[in-house]
Order: sequence, then C-alpha cells, then structure tokens
Amino acid sequence: MAKSEPVLFSISWNACIQCGVCVAICPQEKSFISHFDTIAVDRPCEIACMICENICPVSAIDHSPAPAFNYTFKPEQT
Amino acid sequence: MKADYDVVVVGSGPGGATTAKFASEAGLRVLLLDKRQELGAPVQCSGAVSRHALLENEVLISDEFIQEAIYGFSIYHSSGENIQTDYRLLKPEEYGNAEGRVPLGYVVDRRRFDRYLMTQAERHGVEVLLKAEALDMQIESGLAILKVRHFNEELNIRCSVVVAADGLQSQVGKWAGLQTHIKFTELASCLQFVTDGVEADGLLEIITGHKWAPGGYAWVFPKGHGYTEIGLGVICSMTPHNAQQHLDQFLKNSFMKERFKNAKILEVQGGGVPLSHPLRTQYANNLILVGDAARQVNPITGGGIHTALTAGRIAGKFLAQHLQNSSDFSAQSMSQYQDLWMAVNGKKMWELYEIKSSIFRMDNIEERDQALYKTMSEYFSPNSPFKKI
Ligand SMILES: Cc1cc2nc3c(=O)[nH]c(=O)nc-3n(C[C@H](O)[C@H](O)[C@H](O)COP(=O)(O)OP(=O)(O)OC[C@H]3O[C@@H](n4cnc5c(N)ncnc54)[C@H](O)[C@@H]3O)c2cc1C
Ligand code: SF4
Ligand code: SF4
Repeated sequence: MAKSEPVLFSISWNACIQCGVCVAICPQEKSFISHFDTIAVDRPCEIACMICENICPVSAIDHSPAPAFNYTFKPEQT
Repeated sequence: MKADYDVVVVGSGPGGATTAKFASEAGLRVLLLDKRQELGAPVQCSGAVSRHALLENEVLISDEFIQEAIYGFSIYHSSGENIQTDYRLLKPEEYGNAEGRVPLGYVVDRRRFDRYLMTQAERHGVEVLLKAEALDMQIESGLAILKVRHFNEELNIRCSVVVAADGLQSQVGKWAGLQTHIKFTELASCLQFVTDGVEADGLLEIITGHKWAPGGYAWVFPKGHGYTEIGLGVICSMTPHNAQQHLDQFLKNSFMKERFKNAKILEVQGGGVPLSHPLRTQYANNLILVGDAARQVNPITGGGIHTALTAGRIAGKFLAQHLQNSSDFSAQSMSQYQDLWMAVNGKKMWELYEIKSSIFRMDNIEERDQALYKTMSEYFSPNSPFKKI
C-alpha cells in the first residue's frame, strides 16, 4: 500500500455523541485528543490509518488532505 | 521527597471508585480524580449488572441507582428463534418481586451508580476532585508525579502508586509505556437509544446474528418507568455500515419491528466495548491498571461493570496491604496485583477470549451465527458451564 498522505480531521460536533471510540482506537503513541474527547482536529495526523473515521458509530468524522505548509512558524527570510 | 498521597486513582468509574474505597480502608491517604463534571455522563453504558456482582464487591444495593430489576435472559438467533431463562419461573421460591424474593440483577443508571460509588469512597475517607484531568505522569526518586488540571489550576501531585482506572480511552498506561492498543477487529462500536413505547418485562434480551450486528449483538433492556433501552455493537471491519445504520435497520426491519413501531427516542448514547483479551501487562513502576483501562471486559458479553468492580476490590485490598508493609513500588512489586487478579478473574477472561475468537474465526456466516447463539445461550443458562464474571 502506498504511504498515506497526512490528513486533517474535522468533526461534525452536532452529530458526535461523545462516545470516545475514535480516541480509544487511535494507535498514535502520544495523546492525539481534542478538548471534546475526540481525536485531535487542530493538527494533522501523519499516520492516516483512518480507523477512527471508520469506527465512529455516527460517522461524525471527516478529513481533508493536510495543507502542505509546515505547521511550525518560521519568520520570513530576507 | 515526600508523597502527598499514598495512592492517586485516575478515573472514578466503577473500577476507580472501588479501588479507592478499599485502599482507604486500611488508612491510606487516597485521592480519586475524575475529569468529568458529572460522573457517568454522557452515558456510555447500558448498565446491566448482576446482584451477585454488587454483593461480592460490597456495593450496598440502593434505590438511588436502580432503574429496573432483572429476572433473567432471552437470547435470540438472527432468525428470531429464542431461548428464555426466567428465574421467576425456574426458582420462584428465590427470585421475584414478592416479599422475601430477590432479583437476579439490575439495570442501573450509570450517572447515579458512579456517583453513589464515589460517595461511598468519600465516606470511607477518600479525597475526591472532579473537573480534574490527569495530563501526564513522571517517575522521580521512586515516586510518581501526576500532572493534573483541576478547573484552571495545574497541580503536580506526588504519590507512591497511581491507579489508572481511566476507562476505554485510557492514556495513563500509554504514558508508562505499556502496550494498551486495541485492534480494530476487537473494538465494538456501539449505539443505543433509550425509548418510550416499547414493552419489556424484566429480562435482558440479547439478539445475535451477523444480519443485525456483525461482530457483536443487539440488545433490548428494560430501563425503568416503562422505558426500554435498544442498542447494538458492531465490529467495523465486518461491515461497510456504521452502528447507527445497523440500529436503524434493526429497529425498522428485524423480527422485532412490530414491537418497535411506536418507539420514541428519549436519549442517544454510544461507546466502545473492547472485545479483546485483557492486557498482558497491567502494571509498571508505581502504577497499576484497573477495569476498561486494562481491557478487563468479558469478551463474550461485553460486560465490564462486574469485572471493573472486582478488579477494583482486588487492587484496593492489594494496595492497602502492600503499602502498609513496604515502600517498594517497583513494577515487580506491583505485578503481585496482576497475579491476584489472574487467579480470581484473569484466567476465566482469557478462556472466554479464546472461545470468542474461535467463533469469529469462522468464515461461514450461518455457522458463526449458530455458534454465537449457542455460546451466548449457554453462557446465560442456569446450567452454564461458565462461572459468571
Ligand atoms: C454502549 C455500552 C454498553 C455497555 N453496557 C454494559 C452493561 O450493560 N453491563 C456491563 O457490565 N458493562 C457494560 N458496558 C461496559 C462498561 O460500561 C465498562 O466496562 C465500565 O464502565 C468500565 O468501568 P471503568 O471503571 O473501568 O471505566 P469507566 O466507567 O469508563 O470510567 C473511567 C473514568 O475515568 C475518567 N477519566 C478518563 N480519563 C481521565 C483523566 N485523564 N483524568 C481524570 N479522569 C479521567 C472518565 O471521566 C471516567 O469517569 C457497556 C459499554 C458500552 C460502551
Ligand atoms: S487516522 Fe489513525 S492514527 Fe490518525 S487519528 Fe485516526 S486513528 Fe489515529
Ligand atoms: S467516535 Fe465519533 S461520535 Fe464518538 S467521540 Fe469520536 S467523533 Fe464523536
């Protein structure tokens, strides 16, 4: 299988029933959690195995390709 | 460096509150933390628990948390064929609602049940903090340092032993480097509705069959006040549909659809049930794991209240005894908890896991359905070869 591209998740907060299943299945070693006990939505996932999206009982998780820029802030070079 | 507490328990579910209560009985200084503002909410559980489980673990039975008394089971094959075991008929001198008779079990309200267990711990001298989320754990000079956010305040709490009772999404074990990951093929994705307008009569009804709940089962439990809980859990590697679509299908098209036709939804709840084996290692330096955090769930029934209560009792008593006599909190000394737990519950859970795995290894759906129906019926039969956990 080709290496997955990083993805950025978004949650439909209205659909989410706060069941915690996405967090429970996520294999990331470091906690990858939002403030509402879902998988994180503020940073890209490099692993992109997509099982969190797959297991959600109400399909509240969606994703888009992570923007290609580097997330760490770099001052503009002169 | 001096410890602030002997034991800090992370998570006040059935496992954590029970551990804290038993640990404090010997006079240990125990702190119990939970990140929630109201325990048990949002509800992620159907709340079925046997009377035996409560008595065995010294939980006094109280109206405060009981929603409905349970007297038996009805197990269904996907076709609708079913086997009913009603203890009101089998042993009328023992079970029933008349004077001097008792129920077999209960459906509890987890919001009230968890609060009740926490209250019991507090009355035994446990300190409790709600809105207190554990964020990280380090070991320094032989003590555990737990970083906690309590409302807006950051605390660093030093203790001899941390008990990770932080449930299915457990992070504490991860911090200590334990292998806690659950396989995608072993985590049931669950959804349930509390409904009005659906009849139920004192029985836990379990509906097996790939057609309704691939990899898991559906349930209909009486929920008190004439309400009924209808839900299911599925293994997502076995279906292209989510739990919600399966539940919709079950309500509208199953052999029970006539019974469900006036169902009005009162509450929507979900959660995950690990149908895996318990963790192979449930301890580390200054740490033990209890309940869902250690994947101590019955892999056939998905029940985890009884197992969490029992593990909590074992862990609490172990800590009470160990910490009074020793200042060794190394992984090796903590491993004694797992040995005790293995002897009481662990071996049985591994056996059940092997049975469950052999069923779900079958490729032929009809054979698998038949095997699950047979195992589930046997599990709940009065002559069950399984000792219930
Ligand atoms: C849909 C569904 C139905 C179920 N039905 C049944 C049933 O009918 N009968 C049965 O026996 N079992 C059932 N179960 C399983 C049962 O709910 C669990 O096994 C049981 O709750 C496990 O108890 P616990 O104490 O280990 O963890 P939990 O009850 O999950 O408690 C963990 C606690 O830890 C807290 N916590 C987590 N992280 C932190 C942190 N970092 N800091 C502070 N606090 C934290 C949480 O807020 C929570 O209060 C069901 C599960 C699901 C999903
Ligand atoms: S894609 Fe995989 S690794 Fe990434 S957040 Fe989801 S479950 Fe975790
Ligand atoms: S699995 Fe879905 S419903 Fe459950 S917490 Fe995650 S996003 Fe919400």
